[in-house]
Amino acid sequence: MELQKRSLIILCLGWLASLALASFVAGYYYMEFQNLTGLLEKYENVIMRVNICIDYRELNETVVWYNDTIVPLGCNLLQATETVALVNSTYSPAQQASFVDAINGVSNHGAYFWMWQHWNDVQEKWEYGDVGADRYRLTNNETVRWRYELPSYT
Amino acid sequence: MRVKNIALLAVMTSVCVGIQLTPRPPNIEFTSLICFLTGFLFGSFFGASVGALTMLINGFLSPWGFGATNIPFQILGMALIGFVGGVYRKSRPHAGNPSVRWFSLEVSLLAAFLTLIYDIITTVSYVMLFDVNIIVALLSGAWFTIVHVVSNTVLFGTALFGLVRIASTVLGEQPWSYKKEVL
Repeated sequence: MELQKRSLIILCLGWLASLALASFVAGYYYMEFQNLTGLLEKYENVIMRVNICIDYRELNETVVWYNDTIVPLGCNLLQATETVALVNSTYSPAQQASFVDAINGVSNHGAYFWMWQHWNDVQEKWEYGDVGADRYRLTNNETVRWRYELPSYT
Repeated sequence: MRVKNIALLAVMTSVCVGIQLTPRPPNIEFTSLICFLTGFLFGSFFGASVGALTMLINGFLSPWGFGATNIPFQILGMALIGFVGGVYRKSRPHAGNPSVRWFSLEVSLLAAFLTLIYDIITTVSYVMLFDVNIIVALLSGAWFTIVHVVSNTVLFGTALFGLVRIASTVLGEQPWSYKKEVL
């Protein structure tokens, strides 16, 4: 009986400790959430949200969406893409624009290239971009897509 | 206190301080284990003394810097761990060897609780020094506390039983029954 009581006390102490730790972790993330929400509200006037799609369908049937990605106001497509993916690009002084060589380790290969498109809300269709990604300034709530593809002009 | 016991206290404290000052990942420490073990083997007062002395010396020599107002709180926290080591042995049934699993489970749970209390005690010093809300201080250090508690829980659960057996063999005594305090 004495052993049972003693062991029960120790089990309760352990249970209390685990409960406290779980509360600490929950509290920590709640505090972080509050801090970040406050920070977001503070900078609401200088940020915008964009939807970025990276389409690897030609390679492995994968399409990844980064919806409501928060980027600085006036940010260009290349900068926005760099916030969600690892991008390798080469700046061409002649074109005064950057050429995307690879996204997330998938490089332009043979006739396949990374092409970008933006969603036309009025006509409800994808349209190819006509400038380099670093020359295209995004607007709030815009939807853009990177496609690894065989361009139609080839 | 007998000379032999003073020597023993010095040796155990040196072991603790040596390990405490060895470079290690933050919040992973062996001092609690040794203080608890010392309390278990030589009694509550002895365990508390080793814990207190270790943290007193650590406060001055720590590579993280001078402990300042944190020192009394660290002393209190570690002394408590050493003290409970002795209390735990006293509370054990006097006859028979314990099951390894049950013993390991008990000391693991005790370690989790004591480490948490130690972290709360030392956070109080931070709160007093920087005048911040104690809940905010505790939550800010949540992951440090988790690392400390989990590492001590694992350490006590895996190492204490073996250490008690080894120490008892060296000391030539029966480890699982309560003996009079050395002091």
